[in-house]
Amino acid sequence: MTTPLVEDTSGLKSGQTLLEVDNLIMRYKTKQGYVSAVEDVSFVLHKGEALGLVGESGCGKTSIALSLLRLQADNGEIMGGSIKLGGKDLVPISEEEMRTHRWNDISMVFQGAMNSWNPVYRVGDQIKEALDLHWPTRLSRAEVRERIGELFALVGLPADAQDRYPHEFSGGMRQRAVIAMALSCNPQVIIADEPTTALDVIVQDQILKELKRIQDDLDMSIIYISHDIAVIAEVTDRMAVMYAGKMVEFGDTADIFSAPRHPYAWLLLSSTPSIVGPRRQLAPLEGEPPNLLDPPTGCRFNPRCPFATDQCRVEEPPLADIGGGHMVACWNYEDVPVGITAGGVA
Amino acid sequence: MALEQKPGDLQADPLVALEGAEDLPAIELTDPLWRIRLRLLWRNFKKNWGLFAENKIGLVGLFIIGVFALMAIAHPVLMATVWGGDNTEIYDPVIGYDAVVKEFIVVEVVTDPLSEIELIDARFTNINAQVGDIISQPQQPAPPSSKHLLGTDPLGRDVLSQLMFSTRAAFFLGMVAALVTVFIATTVGSMAAFFRGFVDSFLMRLADLILLMPLIPILIVIGGFWTIELWQLGVIIGVLNGFGGVAIVLRSQALAVSVKPFVDAARVAGGSKWHLIFRHVIPNVLPLSFLYMMFGVTEAISLEAVLSFFGLLNVDMSWGLMISVAQAEGYLLRGLDVWWLLFPAGMAVSVLAAAFFLVGRAMDEVVNPRLRQR
Amino acid sequence: MTTEAHVEVKNLEKRYPVQKSVFRSAKDFIHAVDGVNFSIAPGESLGLVGESGCGKTTTGRMLVKLLEATSGQVLLKTDGEVVDIANITDKDDLKSFRSDVQMIFQDPFESMNPRRTVYDTIAEPLTVQRIGTVPERETKVAELLNLVGLTPAESFMFRFPHELSGGQRQRVAIARALIVDPTFVVADEPTSMLDVSIRISVMDLMLKLAERLDVSYLYITHDLAVARYMCDRIAVMYLGKIVELAPTEDLLANPMHPYTKALLSAVPVPDPSYKRPPVEIKGGISKSINPQPRCRFYDRCPMAREDICGPQDHPPLEEKAPDHWVACYLVDKQSA
Repeated sequence: MTTPLVEDTSGLKSGQTLLEVDNLIMRYKTKQGYVSAVEDVSFVLHKGEALGLVGESGCGKTSIALSLLRLQADNGEIMGGSIKLGGKDLVPISEEEMRTHRWNDISMVFQGAMNSWNPVYRVGDQIKEALDLHWPTRLSRAEVRERIGELFALVGLPADAQDRYPHEFSGGMRQRAVIAMALSCNPQVIIADEPTTALDVIVQDQILKELKRIQDDLDMSIIYISHDIAVIAEVTDRMAVMYAGKMVEFGDTADIFSAPRHPYAWLLLSSTPSIVGPRRQLAPLEGEPPNLLDPPTGCRFNPRCPFATDQCRVEEPPLADIGGGHMVACWNYEDVPVGITAGGVA
Repeated sequence: MALEQKPGDLQADPLVALEGAEDLPAIELTDPLWRIRLRLLWRNFKKNWGLFAENKIGLVGLFIIGVFALMAIAHPVLMATVWGGDNTEIYDPVIGYDAVVKEFIVVEVVTDPLSEIELIDARFTNINAQVGDIISQPQQPAPPSSKHLLGTDPLGRDVLSQLMFSTRAAFFLGMVAALVTVFIATTVGSMAAFFRGFVDSFLMRLADLILLMPLIPILIVIGGFWTIELWQLGVIIGVLNGFGGVAIVLRSQALAVSVKPFVDAARVAGGSKWHLIFRHVIPNVLPLSFLYMMFGVTEAISLEAVLSFFGLLNVDMSWGLMISVAQAEGYLLRGLDVWWLLFPAGMAVSVLAAAFFLVGRAMDEVVNPRLRQR
Repeated sequence: MTTEAHVEVKNLEKRYPVQKSVFRSAKDFIHAVDGVNFSIAPGESLGLVGESGCGKTTTGRMLVKLLEATSGQVLLKTDGEVVDIANITDKDDLKSFRSDVQMIFQDPFESMNPRRTVYDTIAEPLTVQRIGTVPERETKVAELLNLVGLTPAESFMFRFPHELSGGQRQRVAIARALIVDPTFVVADEPTSMLDVSIRISVMDLMLKLAERLDVSYLYITHDLAVARYMCDRIAVMYLGKIVELAPTEDLLANPMHPYTKALLSAVPVPDPSYKRPPVEIKGGISKSINPQPRCRFYDRCPMAREDICGPQDHPPLEEKAPDHWVACYLVDKQSA
């Protein structure tokens, strides 16, 4: 085959804007009212870039991913904003049209997908299903086999593994196969939702390296979603910290880790233990995340924030650039101590 | 693996994380423990009722059951008042008799049995009767009239009274069958799941054996040897049901419960086997048991009708027996002509059985949150 | 191993038969725990670290008598007496054992019975062992709720598990384990299901309580960073064997066993500027069914030597440096 395995259909050069999300609002309708799962989220994803979304469970990171694919739960509703892929807004288009973009332009490695392979079908046949559904032309059986073989080679699996059943795979192999499936239709963006959460560290290391290699080789854009900030630190170029449906900090991963400016990001980094560096007392984050049916007024983090002032309780801080593309949504970001790296406060 | 999985399965339910944040009223610790427990029970009941009431089907079922319950309660009241005193002889559902006298035209060949009478039959009443005469003669079964709202049966008894009287038997039977089912199935299922090994194999093979037995033919055979009392029928249905299919279903539920970490935690706390079974396994199986109880009632009511119809049940009066009497007197195939003999009893059986089934279905949604619509 | 050990584990083994049928007895066994030795000093917290399937949870469950050991001993020191927990069978001894040794479970969503209140859950050890009267139990439960930071106790006492958050549930689980004043607690990944921010406060709570109540912990985890925060010493397990056992900082700074080295280099570090050393390990994890009589790590070991490791059985756990125990033929003994 002369054409590259995963074709670049975007026609973009590395570093150009691929995906632009503007003021995205997604809420779940429940009997008690609207749960504001994604509130006013904006970010830009460049070609060839790895972007990280980090936050605790329920902070809306998975909801953002599902909204990008328009796969949010039935009661979820995109209530505002735009998702521009290569300049085209995906929010107003019909479900039918969306289907042509899903998997072909944006695909996703779902959380726990490695455990949802159907045990009675061969792995290859399950990937074939994806190709049959989404590949623009009809592929012959031989073409499908060839393609899956190449995809498997790309993720470090032997080509003949496609004839095996999921139970014959180890956890790491199942996750590799999930990644192969996500790559099957030449996507420009892959969203990896907790891609290594259920895996042991050594396998996690292999999978992350594999993803990194694919990203570099194919000039792919990847959105990593994880609760583990150590993983985000390792694999992403830029990252966003989410709290209670809002993006509270956004910027270069290195910048945020060296000097987190939002109190939540600061506390999150300080409460992550590490095996390198001196052993330190970690800072606990008191309290619980807010009820998104009725989020606190002003800054959503104010009830738990050690730097909160009266202004924070009334007025919501905008996500503002504090220089060098480092965005922070906090009135008092200057109060947050500098010089603390992850691993805890001294 | 489905490519576009249902996102609801994958993504954390936003509400689950929030439930903890909900502010609950602090409970005064000065109250004795039993009163606190009572209040918690009430709170849980209210919550579950809320879930149940969301489902209109369940409410319809409950309403129908309520109507039948009222009928059962109303019967003795009516017998003591309107149908009481001198009227008892007429309205008693079992030994009552009322011949409604009606005028018939004597004919050679009957075309309309409600207004014509054959010459030979007429001469039983009046030996001198001739074709074309009009003779007065007691009619049974009699069609509905102001005196008998649902007419009388072939033996001259009031159908409405029979119908209402039989409700009690249906409830009694359903209750006995359901309670026996739940008791046996829960115990057998939980024990099998908890002890595993030999106990499990033995009980489950027994369950398979019972499941293989055809219920109705067996009841007919038993009925052939001795007349079955109503409560006996309830126990038989309960045992067969409880030991068979329901036990197998509850065992698998109990199996899932007994490997939960909270059972291990209770074991580490020092709980005995019986503590683990009665405090941890059974309480988590019971909701499913109650569900099967509802379906058990449905089955018992239908079975009772079948057995009474065959005359195998020793019961004063029941819906099945009402149809049986109509059949014995040759009215079964007369259909619409004698609708009051067949229709009320048949409907009562179907509707009450269906009502319990509907309640069961609605309970299913409370018990199995996966079925719940958002 | 010291004589003043609080818990001492000797040659502990657990084997599970594979494919047992009515007609023939099992020939194949999974060696889940395969001759494990360690001891825990009073007040010490020992971390048991390893990948899933290495036997760490099985070990923990044997220590609390949730599982019967196939062979080996667990010696527990109670009231100055040393008892083999396998011999604890009569009711009174078992009762005092259940007060002495407790366990905290991994999943806070599954380790509480959804139909019982917080009070029922925490008071359960007292109820089933018939300790105290109802008002006394209530007072004790309230005391523990305060201790684990669920205040005011009255507002938590009669909640159901679904009315609590994950962190609150794990606090309840800790309270349940501590209500009988145990001296030894097995904690099986108590924080792995919790969010980062909540995790730290639960870990801090456990450390604080260990100090105040003088509890020894066996802390089972797959997360080395968590083990570092919680434990005085760490034991690394691989396929049912302890391959390295050393004081925490010593183990992290100076890992000797090739598996420990691989494991440490695979742990992601929350610092984008840090470059991890390459993970040196071959292949995937093997199964522990009837293992070959040689080093369990042989097939995956980057430095395995056919002439040394090949012909010998699994290496014994030896003290290669002061208080630093390693099971490897290729690690030289360092002089103290």
